[in-house]
Amino acid sequence: MKEYQEVLYGLYDDETDLMDAVKVANADHLDIMDVYSPFPVHGLDPLLGLSESRLHIAGFVYGALGTLTAFLFMTWVFTRDWPIIFGGKPYFSAPAFIPISFELTVLFASIGMVVTFYTVCGLGPGVNNPVLDDRITDDKFCIAFETNGYSNEEISKLKGFFSTTGASEVNTKTI
Amino acid sequence: MNQFTFEGREKSVLIGGMVLGVVCLALSFFMDASPHSGEYHSRFWTNFLHNAVFFTGIAFVSLFAICAAITAYAGWYAVIKRIWEAYSMFLVVGLVMMGIIVAGLWGHMHHIYHWADAEAVAADPVLLGKSGFLNKTSYTIMTLGFLSVWYFLFARPIRKMSIMEDKAGTADYAIHRKIKIYAATFMPIAAFSSCAVIWLWTMSIEPHWYSTMYAWYTTASWLVSALALTLLTIIYLKSRGFLEDVTEEHVHDLGKLLFAFSVFWTYLWFSQFMLIWYANVGEETTYFKTRRDEYPVLFYGNLIMNFGLPFFILMRNSTKRKFGTVGFAALLVLFGHWWDFFYMIKPGVIKELSHADGAHGLLPSVAGFDYPHLIELGIFIGFLSLFFYFVFNQLTKASLRPERDPYYAESIHHHS
Repeated sequence: MKEYQEVLYGLYDDETDLMDAVKVANADHLDIMDVYSPFPVHGLDPLLGLSESRLHIAGFVYGALGTLTAFLFMTWVFTRDWPIIFGGKPYFSAPAFIPISFELTVLFASIGMVVTFYTVCGLGPGVNNPVLDDRITDDKFCIAFETNGYSNEEISKLKGFFSTTGASEVNTKTI
Repeated sequence: MNQFTFEGREKSVLIGGMVLGVVCLALSFFMDASPHSGEYHSRFWTNFLHNAVFFTGIAFVSLFAICAAITAYAGWYAVIKRIWEAYSMFLVVGLVMMGIIVAGLWGHMHHIYHWADAEAVAADPVLLGKSGFLNKTSYTIMTLGFLSVWYFLFARPIRKMSIMEDKAGTADYAIHRKIKIYAATFMPIAAFSSCAVIWLWTMSIEPHWYSTMYAWYTTASWLVSALALTLLTIIYLKSRGFLEDVTEEHVHDLGKLLFAFSVFWTYLWFSQFMLIWYANVGEETTYFKTRRDEYPVLFYGNLIMNFGLPFFILMRNSTKRKFGTVGFAALLVLFGHWWDFFYMIKPGVIKELSHADGAHGLLPSVAGFDYPHLIELGIFIGFLSLFFYFVFNQLTKASLRPERDPYYAESIHHHS
């Protein structure tokens, strides 16, 4: 059984209008479901009360894992499993291992972060992501409220908020 | 407060530092155990060259940073551009300092450069082949010529026009456009001329050895030092109540550059090292083998201070925004890159001096060449004081807020 959400959203023409509207919504204690914008708007995160992403911590762990994997694997191969002399160098040639350790650091960190990001956001192949309005990927800035079970009075209050803050368009959608 | 004032207390501290530097330079003239010290005074001359090259380079790279920012239409740096302008004016002192090295070269007062020894060159096919570039005349012309071009044709006019901009009624784009022409002209000239002087000033100390990465590597070292010094200057000026417009956003960006160019420096260091280590060609490997086996403190200390520590300290977002941690990292890296120049210059001079005497095998361990002793640290403090005395004096000559810069408003609202 799929759960449906009724959403009331307003579109703004400009990012500064959006920022002002979010400030008004915070002052009126309106419960914003989400804000959508075609590009990252500076200063929006603290207004929405979003904490700093912890993705980079995961990135560091993956990177360190990549370094260790490459370095230890090469050490094992060239000292234990299949020692070969390259250009008269010792079996354990740390400087020669560094470029590959670096590559694997980058590889592990990038792939690990992509996978983590997709998992955390619930994205992936076959996932249906309803888009409120096509223009929020182009030139419109959107504030959305979830209105499941809202009374007419509450909905008209939200509509009043949109008209006072200068939204160019207000729509409802069930997703 | 827009107008910097050079307080008497600062003056006396900096003059004290300079006196310490002079005393230590004099001590290094007499307390010298290097070969032929009575004749060549290598400890004194290498200390002088080391610091002269280090601080001249900081001045040069600051000018380059201004020009790069202007040419790239960058706005964020406008609130700190007076600091870089003041740094770039230090090129005139660099001209004098390198002029002293040139005078010493002609007067046979020092033996930093083995290629200046005519008898040795005549008997050495390698040096004979390089003598078209490595000779006293080209050293003199390029050192004095390029430094004069940098200072008289670029640093001074750019500074002058930038101050002129302050007096214009509104944001004067005509002046800015003119600065932009100077800036864009300077960059290619700087790129080629800096390579040539780096080869002459430091790489030619070991004239048989060469590396195509050396100029990049040295310039990266200068750039990191200049960024570290900029951060320290900002933190100091803010503690005195100046530079209200410089926020943690600007410090954050400088911290990012410090982090990025520390890694860049390491990349160049490692690329230079690994290829030579792997190829294992005798005349190339000797540079690193000597340093790693006989100067391990210099060799590993260099990597720890300039890569290991700043990499982990500056990695997190928050450490780049806190004045305490970023200031500590800047201090560490500044000293680290001073150490890097020590590592480039000092062992090479000892090596050439002993080889000229026909010695082979391990080099003699000589005080003041193995690692920075107290005398060397005193000289560093002396040159640092001279640098800051000059810079603070320059800062008094113009407002710290270049409000007529077309990018000033953008810079105030900078968000990193």
